[in-house]
Amino acid sequence: MTSVDGPAVGPEKAFILRELTHKQPLIACRFAPAHPFVFATSEDRNVLRWDLNSASADPVAFSGHDGWVFALNFTDGGQSLLTGGADGVLTWWPLAADGPMPSRSIQAHGGWLRSIAVAADGHAIATAGNDRIVRLWSPSGEKLMELPGHERPIYSLAWGPDGTLVSGDLKGVVIEWDHRAGKEARRFDAAKLYKYEGGQGVDYGGVREMAFSADGKYLACAGLIEASNPLGAVSNPAVLLFDRAEGKENGPLLQRSKEDVKGVGWGLRFHPGGFIVLVAGGTGGGNLWFFKPGETNEFARFKLPNTARGLDLHADGLRVATTHHDGKLRITALHAKPA
Amino acid sequence: MARSIVALAIMLFPQYTRADLPLHERIDRAIESALEGPPAAPASDAEFLRRAYLDLAGMVPTSTEARVFLDDPSPYKRERLIDTLLSGPRFARRMRDVFDVAWMERLPDKYVPSAAWRAFLLRAFQENRPYDQIVREVLSADGTDPATRPAAKFLLDREADANNLTRDMGRMFLGRDMQCAQCHDHPLIDDYKQAHYYGLFAFVSRTTLYDQPGAGKVLAEKGEGDVTFTSVFKKKITNATGPRLLDGPAIAEPAIAKGQEYFVGPKEKARTVPAFSRRAQLPNALLTTDVSAFDRAIANRLWSVLMGRGLVHPLELDHSGNPPSHPELLDDLTRSIKAMKYDMRAFLREVALTRAYQRSSEPRPEASDSQMEPSRYAVAPLRKLSPEQLGWSVMQALGFVEASRRGAEDRYLTRDPKMRDILETTVGKRQRAELLEAAVEDQLAGNLGPFIQRFAAAPGQPQDAGDPTVHQALFLANGEPIQSWLNPSGVNLTARLNALTDPGAIGEELYLSILSRRPAEEERAEVAQHLKDRDKDKGPAIKELAWALLSSAEFRFNH
Amino acid sequence: MKRCSHACGSAEHLTSRRQFLGTVAAGVGAASGLGTFVRPLVADELTRQERQVLVVWLAGGASQLETWDPKPGTDTGGPFRSIETSVPGTRISELMPLTAKQMHRIALVRGLNTKENDHGKGHYMMHTGRPQMPGVVYPHLGSIAAKYVTPETSPLPGYIHITPGGGGLSSADAAFLGPKYGALHLGNGQPPANTVRPASLNDLGASAREAVFQHANDRFAKRRRTAETEAYTSTFEQAKQLMARREVFDVTKEPERDFDRYGRHDFGRHCLLARRLLDAGVTFVQVTHSNYDTHNENFDFHLEQVGEFDQGFATLLEDLGASGRLQHTLVIVMSEFGRTPKINPWYGRDHWGNAWSIALAGVGITAGNVVGKTNANGTAVVDREVGAGHLFHTYMKALGLDTKESVDVNGQDFFLADPSATHIPELLA
Repeated sequence: MTSVDGPAVGPEKAFILRELTHKQPLIACRFAPAHPFVFATSEDRNVLRWDLNSASADPVAFSGHDGWVFALNFTDGGQSLLTGGADGVLTWWPLAADGPMPSRSIQAHGGWLRSIAVAADGHAIATAGNDRIVRLWSPSGEKLMELPGHERPIYSLAWGPDGTLVSGDLKGVVIEWDHRAGKEARRFDAAKLYKYEGGQGVDYGGVREMAFSADGKYLACAGLIEASNPLGAVSNPAVLLFDRAEGKENGPLLQRSKEDVKGVGWGLRFHPGGFIVLVAGGTGGGNLWFFKPGETNEFARFKLPNTARGLDLHADGLRVATTHHDGKLRITALHAKPA
Repeated sequence: MARSIVALAIMLFPQYTRADLPLHERIDRAIESALEGPPAAPASDAEFLRRAYLDLAGMVPTSTEARVFLDDPSPYKRERLIDTLLSGPRFARRMRDVFDVAWMERLPDKYVPSAAWRAFLLRAFQENRPYDQIVREVLSADGTDPATRPAAKFLLDREADANNLTRDMGRMFLGRDMQCAQCHDHPLIDDYKQAHYYGLFAFVSRTTLYDQPGAGKVLAEKGEGDVTFTSVFKKKITNATGPRLLDGPAIAEPAIAKGQEYFVGPKEKARTVPAFSRRAQLPNALLTTDVSAFDRAIANRLWSVLMGRGLVHPLELDHSGNPPSHPELLDDLTRSIKAMKYDMRAFLREVALTRAYQRSSEPRPEASDSQMEPSRYAVAPLRKLSPEQLGWSVMQALGFVEASRRGAEDRYLTRDPKMRDILETTVGKRQRAELLEAAVEDQLAGNLGPFIQRFAAAPGQPQDAGDPTVHQALFLANGEPIQSWLNPSGVNLTARLNALTDPGAIGEELYLSILSRRPAEEERAEVAQHLKDRDKDKGPAIKELAWALLSSAEFRFNH
Repeated sequence: MKRCSHACGSAEHLTSRRQFLGTVAAGVGAASGLGTFVRPLVADELTRQERQVLVVWLAGGASQLETWDPKPGTDTGGPFRSIETSVPGTRISELMPLTAKQMHRIALVRGLNTKENDHGKGHYMMHTGRPQMPGVVYPHLGSIAAKYVTPETSPLPGYIHITPGGGGLSSADAAFLGPKYGALHLGNGQPPANTVRPASLNDLGASAREAVFQHANDRFAKRRRTAETEAYTSTFEQAKQLMARREVFDVTKEPERDFDRYGRHDFGRHCLLARRLLDAGVTFVQVTHSNYDTHNENFDFHLEQVGEFDQGFATLLEDLGASGRLQHTLVIVMSEFGRTPKINPWYGRDHWGNAWSIALAGVGITAGNVVGKTNANGTAVVDREVGAGHLFHTYMKALGLDTKESVDVNGQDFFLADPSATHIPELLA
C-alpha cells in the first residue's frame, strides 16, 4: 500500500497532523477536491473553511442556513460547494470566495436534508433526508427526478463507480436505484444496524454513511449494533459490508472492534488501498477503526482525543479529517511520522 | 396525667389490679365495667371457631376441623382450640405476616430480600422468641454477618436514612408518629416534642450505608457528628441533643479524644466503625429504661391483632390528647407483657380467652350506636381479611390446602420409608406438622400474589384502611386462579360435592368448607332448590353455589 | 381525634352508598330497603363533577427547546427552527406544526424551575406538587380527582392511565386516599383485566350464582351494622356496570378515519382511546408517551417522538375543542423535568429542572397565554418563576377543588396541596 509519491500508507502508525479550532462543536467535514481547503459544519449553523496551506487557524464562515448543516459536497469540477441541513435547503457556494455568498438555494426537502451525493461523472446531485424521498438534481439545480420508496428518514446516499445510486435509512433499508428508469433495482438488508428498543419505545441506529470500494465490488455501511440503551448512548460501532455480486447481498459481513468500545459509527470511507476507514464516537471516545474486507475485526485503530462525529479521506489517501465535539477539526496522517 | 388516672382507678376499682386474677379475667372486668348496657351475646361456636382460626392460624378451618369442633360437647373446647392453634404450625406463619406488614409495610425490596426477612420472622415466632429479643435483633444487625443479615432489613431497606428511621421507629416501637415534630414541637399534639424526635434521631444520625464488596449494602457508622435542631418558630435558638429516648435520661457517652473516634476510620477504604456506637445503644435504651412507651406499644399492637383496634387508636398516636379507651386496662397490659417477659404467645392466649374476644358480631337489636361504639368492645367488629388471610382461606375452603398437605404426607410417609422412619420414631408430632406445613407453603404461597396485588394497601400506607374496590370484585367474579379452582379436580371442594348426591349433605359440606358453619334451614332449602332448578347442570350449579358463598360478605370479613 | 369510623355506620358514608345504589342498582334498590333516595347535588358540586382531566405525560423528560420554548440560532438551540402559531407572537418548535395550529387553546408555562433532576423525584413532584420526602407519600392528582371529582355514582374508574407498558392497578398513586382511588393502567391501551365473564358461565349460571350471592349477603347483613358490608357488596354491583360498559375501553370501535387522523402509532391510538374514555365520562385520563430521556442523539429522538406527540395530541385537542368537552376538561402536558440547554458530546441533552416548560389547556385556563420567560439561550428563568407546587394549586383551582382540603390519616391531617405554595393567577381564567 503506497501512494504515488508520498510516504507509505500505514494506519497502524497514524498520528495527528494538525488541529483546527472553532468555538462551537463541529458536525461534518470534507476535503475540497480542487483546492487546498477543508470544510466543516458547526452547531452554530455555519460552514467553515480552512486553508490547509495557510498557517492561519481562523476559518472563513459560510453563513446562510437556518439550522445545522449536516451534508457537504462539491460540484462544478470542484469549484462549487454544496451544503444542506436541518432547514431542508440545498445551497451552492463558490467555494473559494473571500466573502462567500450562496449562488443558489433551493428548498430541496421537507425537514432535514441529511446527505448529498454527487455522481462520479458529475451529471447528477442526489439529496435525501427526513421526508423519505431521494431527489436528483442537475448540477445547476433543476429537479431531475424523485425516488420515493423509503418509509423512514433517509440517513445516507452514495454513488458507485459504475454510476449506481444507493440510499440507506433509519431502519437499515438500503435501496439500490435504477435511477435512469426511476425505480428500485434491488434492496440490501442492513437491519442489523437498526433496533427498536421496546422498553424505551424508540427506533435507533440506521445507515449513518455508505461507501463503495473503488472497484464497486463492496458496499460498506456505517452504523451501530448492540444498542441495549439507545437513550443512554449504549451501543457499539459497526460496519456492515455487502458483496454486491448477485445473490450475495443477503449475507453481509458484520465488522466490529475487538474490544468493547462504545459508540456509533458515524462515517466511513473506502481507502484506495482497499481497506475501510470508520470513524466512531460515543461514550468510548473518538476512534478511527481500519477494517479489511473479509475480516471481522479491525487491523488497526487510532484513538482520537475527543469524541468524533464526521469523517473525510483526502484524495491523497494519506490524510483523514475528523470533526469533534470540542470544536476541533483534526487531520490525522495515515503514515509514519517523518523522522 | 396518665399516672393520676391510674392512681384514681386503683382507688376506685381495686379489683382490676388483683394479681391473683388471671389476666383475661382482669381484661373482661375492665371492659365490662365500662359498658353502657349489655354487650352482644357470646359468639356461637361457629363464629368463635372461624375467628380463632383466622386470627391464630391465618386461614379458615377445613370442613373436617369445623365438624370436629362443632360436634365436640366439651365445655373446655374453646380453650383447647386456642391452645391447639397457638401451638400449631400456622400460628408462627400468621404472626410472621402480621409483623412483616407492620414493620415493612409491603415496601418493595431494596437490599435484603423479603424471603430472608420473612424466614427470620418465621423462625423467631416458631421459637416463640420474646418480643424484646426480636426487636434487639432487628436493631442490632448491621448486615455484615450473613447469619443475622435478614434481620437488618428494617434498617438497611430504609436506606439507613435517619429521618425515615426516626419516624418509623417512633411509630412501630413507641406508638408515636413524631413526623410532625421534626421541624418544631408537634403543632397539635402537646406530648410530641421536637426534642423527642431528635433524641431518637441521634441514635441513628451517624449511621450510613456502605457498599461492602461481596456482601452488598451494610450499615456503617461515623464516630462524630452531633445533632442540633432549631424550631422553625424559634429560629434563633439552636438546641443540641445526644441520643435520648423520649423523656428518659440522656445516654451516657464516653469522652473520646480527638483523633480516637474510630476503630476503622473514614480514610480506610472500608466500612467505618466508630469507637463508640450510638446506634448500639438503641436496643438497651428501648428495653431497659423505665420509659413504658415501648411496652405500651407492643401490648396495644397485640391487643389490636385480636380485637381489631387498639386501646389507643390509631396504634401510632399514643399521647394524652388521644387517651386509651380503657387507660387502666392498657396500663395493666403494659405491665403484664413485661412481666410475661414479652412472651407474645402467652399474651395473645390471655386475650383470646376473654369474653370480649369471644363476643358475637351481631349487636343486640335494641342496642344504641353509642352502646355499640367499637372502642367499647361490646360487639365483635367486622374486620376485612388481610390479603394473606383471604388467599389462604380461599385455598383452604376450596380444598387446595388439604390436598397439598396430603400430597406432602404421601411423599414423606408413603413413598419415602426412610423419611417415615425418621418422622415416626425420632421426631415428634409437632415437627411432623411443621414439616408438612412448610411443604404446603412451598407449594401454595405463590398463589397469594394476585390477592396481595388487589387487596393490599399501597406500600407504606396504613394496611388496615381503604375502601373495597371494583377491581377486587372483578377479580373474585371473573379472575384467575379462583375460576379454575372452582372446577372439580382431585379432592378439591367441588369434586367432593359432585360426588355427593344428597342435597342436604352437599349443603352441609359446602357451608362447613366455606363458612365454617352448618347451613340454617333456609339455607339448606336454598341449596336444595338451586340444585333442583338446575338438575341437568349439577356441576355448574355446585360451582355457582361455591362461588356465591366464597364471594359473600360473610366470607370476606372476619366476624 | 375526629375520625369517622365506618363500622359505626357514619352518616356520611351511608349517604354516598345510598346515592350510588339509588342511581345504578335498579334491581337491588327495593330489596335492600334503601329506596331510590338520591342526595340532591348542590350546583357547584354538579359543575365540579362534570370536570375532567387529560394529562399527557412525556416520560423521561421532554426537551423544552424542542417543544414549547425553542431557542433557534443560539449555542443551545440545536438544529431545529421555530414556527409561528395561531397565537401571534408565540412561537414553538417546528416539530409541532399541528399543535401550532391549536395554540389559541393552549397556555404555556415557560418559567418552571423545579430544581429537581432525578426521574423518580421529578415524577413524584410533578404529580403531587411537592418534593419527595422520606416517610410520607402524597396522592397523585389523578387519585385526588378520582376521589373528589368523580361522582360516587360513576360505574367507571375515576383515574385511568394509558401506558405503553403493562396494565394493572396502581394503588401507590392514591397514597393515603386508599386503593379505591388508585390508577387503573390500561397497558398498551388494552381493556382492564377480569372484565369478561368466565367462558364457562352462561347467562343462567350467572344470574343463578348472583341470586345465591345476594341472598347470602342479605342474610349476613340483616343482623349487623352494614356500612362495611354494603361498601363491599356494592363493588360487585359496580363490577357489573363496568362489565356492561366494557366497550368503553375498546378503541377499535372508533371510526377508521380517526386512526389516520391521530396517527397509526401507539401514541396516536392511545390518544384516540383517551378521547373515547373522556367521552364516556371518565374523570381523569393520563396518556404516557415514552420515551424522551434523550441523553444521546436528542434531536433524532425528539424528531420521532415529538412528531408522534404532535399528531396525536393536536388532533385530540382539536376534537375536545370541537365537541365542547374542552370547556370542562383540564389538559396538562408535562414531564418529570426538561432537558439541558447545553448539548452534550453525543448530541444529547441531559436532565434539567431549572428552566423548563409545560403546556395547559381547557377548563379554567387562560388560553393563548404564555406565563414566564427564560433568557435568550434558555439557561435560566428570567420572569415569573414558578415551581411544581404552584402548578398543583393551579390544577386544583381549575378543577374547582379546595386547595386547603385536608385528609385525616390515622388521626393526623394531611393537606392535599402543599400549603407553602399558591396558584398562578395569570393562568386562571
